[in-house]
Amino acid sequence: MKWITRERPKIDRIACPWLIKNFVDKEAQFIYVPKDKVFIKADELQAIPYDIPGAEYTHEGDYCTFDYIVKKHNLTDPAIRQIAAIVRGADTDSFQLAPQAAGLWAISAGLSYNYTDDYEMLSIGMKMYDALYSWAKYVQDEKHIWKA
Amino acid sequence: MKWITRERPKIDRIACPWLIKHFVDKEAEFMYVPAEQVKERAQAIGAIPFDIPDVEFSHHEDKCTFDYIIEKYSLTDPALQTMALIVRGADTDRHDIASQAAGLWAISAGLAYNIQDDYELLQKGMMLYDALYNWAKYLQKVKHTQNPVDHVFIDVYNKFIKQQSAQKKTPAWVKELKQIIQDQIDSNINLTQISKSLDINPSYLSREFSKHFNNLSFGEYIRKLRIEKAIELMQQNKYTLTEIAYLTGFSDQSHFTRIFKQHTGKSPSLYKKEWDKSKKDTKG
Repeated sequence: MKWITRERPKIDRIACPWLIKNFVDKEAQFIYVPKDKVFIKADELQAIPYDIPGAEYTHEGDYCTFDYIVKKHNLTDPAIRQIAAIVRGADTDSFQLAPQAAGLWAISAGLSYNYTDDYEMLSIGMKMYDALYSWAKYVQDEKHIWKA
Repeated sequence: MKWITRERPKIDRIACPWLIKHFVDKEAEFMYVPAEQVKERAQAIGAIPFDIPDVEFSHHEDKCTFDYIIEKYSLTDPALQTMALIVRGADTDRHDIASQAAGLWAISAGLAYNIQDDYELLQKGMMLYDALYNWAKYLQKVKHTQNPVDHVFIDVYNKFIKQQSAQKKTPAWVKELKQIIQDQIDSNINLTQISKSLDINPSYLSREFSKHFNNLSFGEYIRKLRIEKAIELMQQNKYTLTEIAYLTGFSDQSHFTRIFKQHTGKSPSLYKKEWDKSKKDTKG
């Protein structure tokens, strides 16, 4: 399927494509367009609109679009649940939700400042969420201590 | 220069190369080798060893190698000071010293897990620190209001504010003033008296008046009302022009005639004649 959202992604519109591609729809393609074109283009291209008010896949209460996808597709991997809290914290300015949220926000905001091409931003962001997932799944108990 | 350190970098051995390359030595090259070979290889190829014990470029007390480079080269960019805390927090497992440290650690540890080639990891890590630097330098104060729900509220709020200013609520004194003028149109009303009865400063009233009365000044508005009333009285056919002048608050008939002509283009007597004639015509 094609998935479409607003241009200039930072958190949720990078994290959701990562989640969709890896856990929902391996063949997914992602399209970024100006905010006012999302629904028009979605109709035209038969794409699923997401992370925009009025779409099925969007924020619900305090929860962001990433959370909605986790719920809708019954994703139970604890590492995904943990990333959901980090993404929600970074995306909704609620850094208290997860210790890693503030760092994810800083790095994402800085990446978006450096990469104005949304698709380039997406490809780098994908690597970042791959990293976050590996950390959550395999290495989070590891401590990093200087052994002098 | 060549710079050499231990293989399998995560934080400090990625952050330092980024710092060196951007702020110390543009031509720098970086090498990762097994820990026990660092010193030996450094000597063999004339490279500067860093982030291993017992060399100059290393941890000093609770500070990491990134801190040492900043201090050594007197780098004063405040964004670097911000980054130093984050790097130190992530590198020394002191996530309490910067709120971004835990996130940097998670992403760095995950990248190192995913990417086995140290040089590829360095290249990806460079992008990470570029991002962190830009955030520290330009975006630290920026809040993320991307929450679409917030946007809906903000949109609605903005529309509300626009409507408010477009409609500009009519102050209570305007309604009161209209009533007073209506009631006293036949007397010698003036703005100073009215402002007293409304308990409003006369110069404020004079300044604000036209905003609420079709861009007319107080005098213009009064004259307009008086002429309208005069025409109404003429059409009733019960009063002489002298009486009408008196009933509409004009001090004398010549004043009435002059103002009437200004407004309608005709003298009161001509206006009345034409009115009477048109009445007859329609009757006929």
